[in-house]
Amino acid sequence: MTTPILELRHISKRFDMTQALDDVSLSLYPGEIHALVGENGAGKSTLIKVVTGVYQPDRGEIVLNGRPVHVRNSQDAQALGIAAIHQEPMVFPDLNVAENIFISHRDRGAIVRWRQMYEDAAAILAKLDVKMDVRVPARGLTLAAQQTVEIAKAISLDVRVLIMDEPTASLSAHEVSQLFRLVATLRDQGVAVLFIGHRLEEVLSIADRVTVLRDGKLISSRPRAEVTIEQVIRDMVGRRVEEFFAKSAVERGELLMSVRGLTKERVFSDISFDVYRGEVLGFAGLVGSRRTDVGLALFGVEPADSGRILLEGREVQIRSSQQALQLGIAYVTEDRRQYGLSMPLSIAANITLPTLSRYLGALGLVRTNAENTDAEEFRQRLSIRADSVRVEVARLSGGNQQKVVLSKWLNTRPQLLILDEPTRGIDVRTKAEVHHMISELTAQGLGIILISSDLPEIMAMSDRILVMREGRMMGLFSRNEATQESIMTAAMGRENTVAERQR
Amino acid sequence: MTSLRRSIRPEQIRELILILVIVALLLFFGTQISDYFGARTFTRISTSIAILAVVAVGETLVFLTRNYDLSVGSIVGFTAFFVGTQLQFYHGIPPLAAVLMAVGIGAMMGAFNGLLVAYGRVPAIIVTLGTMAIYRSALVEYPGNKIVQISALPAWVQDFSSANVLEVGTFELRLIVAIALAVVIIAQLMLMYLPYGRRLYAIGSNPEAARVAGFPSQRIVFIAFILSGALAGLAGFMFLGRFGNLTVVAAMGTELQAVAAVVVGGTSTLGGSGTALGSLLGATLIGVLDQSLRRWPLISEFWRDAMLGILILLAVAGDRAIVDRLRTIWARSELQLGAANSALPQEDNIHGS
Repeated sequence: MTTPILELRHISKRFDMTQALDDVSLSLYPGEIHALVGENGAGKSTLIKVVTGVYQPDRGEIVLNGRPVHVRNSQDAQALGIAAIHQEPMVFPDLNVAENIFISHRDRGAIVRWRQMYEDAAAILAKLDVKMDVRVPARGLTLAAQQTVEIAKAISLDVRVLIMDEPTASLSAHEVSQLFRLVATLRDQGVAVLFIGHRLEEVLSIADRVTVLRDGKLISSRPRAEVTIEQVIRDMVGRRVEEFFAKSAVERGELLMSVRGLTKERVFSDISFDVYRGEVLGFAGLVGSRRTDVGLALFGVEPADSGRILLEGREVQIRSSQQALQLGIAYVTEDRRQYGLSMPLSIAANITLPTLSRYLGALGLVRTNAENTDAEEFRQRLSIRADSVRVEVARLSGGNQQKVVLSKWLNTRPQLLILDEPTRGIDVRTKAEVHHMISELTAQGLGIILISSDLPEIMAMSDRILVMREGRMMGLFSRNEATQESIMTAAMGRENTVAERQR
Repeated sequence: MTSLRRSIRPEQIRELILILVIVALLLFFGTQISDYFGARTFTRISTSIAILAVVAVGETLVFLTRNYDLSVGSIVGFTAFFVGTQLQFYHGIPPLAAVLMAVGIGAMMGAFNGLLVAYGRVPAIIVTLGTMAIYRSALVEYPGNKIVQISALPAWVQDFSSANVLEVGTFELRLIVAIALAVVIIAQLMLMYLPYGRRLYAIGSNPEAARVAGFPSQRIVFIAFILSGALAGLAGFMFLGRFGNLTVVAAMGTELQAVAAVVVGGTSTLGGSGTALGSLLGATLIGVLDQSLRRWPLISEFWRDAMLGILILLAVAGDRAIVDRLRTIWARSELQLGAANSALPQEDNIHGS
């Protein structure tokens, strides 16, 4: 490695009471993938925003190619060859792929030459070894494909520093491997990549250098070959993590729910499984495997067309979420911002939202005291980090918001809890707490359906794992039969691995 | 299927439906109103569409950026009234200067909207609701005559409204209609071929992404409001030319008509999609209905405002019911395409679902 292309020297940034960045120095080299890891609130996002010009550092300087530079906004960053790709792709859904790639260009003349643009876009994608129709609107593309478009855009702008902020958070394992191939291609072309991620195994599999931030400070920065995953986790949390996560053994209770031949036309078909009390049934699969749709069908949001659902031996029809709630089924959503929480409302108000009728006093007014008492109980039980339950949810971190969502549904006193990506985008410590919580709930006799794209998580937490692919059930593995390989192969649709199929 | 999906978009189907509806309406009114298919009807409808189309094109630009401009009616009224009053006092003002005066005043009023929306970050609906009232009051309080009378205007203004650029038999293409067509065509070309036009779509499509994409989205929104104001100013001049006699309520309610034309023409209320041609079609539908209902004895004149409301609601509801369904069908065909390709795992998730 010769000279660094981008150096951050003694960067500090303060917001009111929090020192978001404290004297952080970092060097990015061309042709190197530099992983940046840390818990939520460690300062990763602030660092990215300083580099891309969204924030100005209080102290310290940014040096590009040995020359100090000022990055005042994203235009500056772009002019300097710095681009960022975010967790949620920043594409324009109404514009087509080619336009998305070239929208920021200023050197393409005063008039849009469409034919030329299509050809150039196709050429760039070909260079990345990606097959994609450049004329389709970005709206219909998968997240993975949208990210590919963003990478193509960055390349077309000749970026020298590419920052990827949790690009894999919403991708399936297969898509992640594709993305990593792309990132490796970029590295080989001499781009410096700063890669931020939460899934450590994944991040470490691609990084050349690993930097750990904690509480705004740089803890360590070492070549990949010199660190182990345990070391990195230790640096991140500042203490030894004995157990990353694992569901404690709970004896399987009685049969809670049986599903037979559940089908929704054009979405999923012939899904059959049983859930027992005290059990976690994992749903594994790639994005597009329609796991979430099965969850939504069981919760009555998007009811199935046919098939039977038996709850404690009694056949039930679930046509709406109210019905599901009455039957003791709760669904913790994947997207907390969109469906899970009302951001401007307090923790207490969010927790009691689906069960408000329980808190009504005379004249039909809400008894705030009762509300607060119950919410306070959850705050302590799930250790939600907030001063009081009157704090607005918007001010909590992602992990704590997730705990509020969980509290909200636990407050409905469910028997069956469907958890859809409960730990997506939250930090290691909160993740461990959520896993602990799941363990505890099964001990209390709940049945849990866990939908997750995080393969190690699903393997560690589930008693049995149902694998889906494009709306079909590909296999049902018990905990000791399941290996990452067997699940992945089933999820990707190889025939020979369909193991113990139920019924 | 990919190529079919590519060559026909749900939006284009919508434009086709709009044309069919307009033709059906013309045929229907032809059976109801005597002497309907004639040069007089054509002139009457086309000149009424012209003013609305110009305002609607400006409104389209603002709509594309996920904003609204409710002040256009007041801008049309103010510029018409202001320029009319000036012309009453100073007969010597040359025609071009009068036009430029109208466009310039409109642009300034639009710039004030744009300043508050783009740089002041005040929601457009609040800003333009406020300026709609302010500009109207400015008109009422404007010192001078409270009325513009055609008899007091220079002769060329009266000629302007009846000037033709083309005559085929008894059919006449009025100058103001030609101006409107030119505005629509120029705007359409701008939206298709100028980087500025494409960026209007980009901003409405995903404002957050526009902020980080590195192009000046604040300035682009600002300019969209200026253009909307300028076109409303031009429409104000056309309004003066067409009617001549003005009171302080001139062009009141034009904003509702413009919004209706834009929405009926297929521009998304969430920005990011729509065309100037669509808005022309929307304006045409409204013009045909408006002018024909005036001559259709079965319906009271007072229902014409309700008709605008119904059109807006129908267009938006129709979007939900039909165009969204079409989008789903389109997306589904894509899904099946993806399933057919599943033998090739490298490809299946590059194409979306």
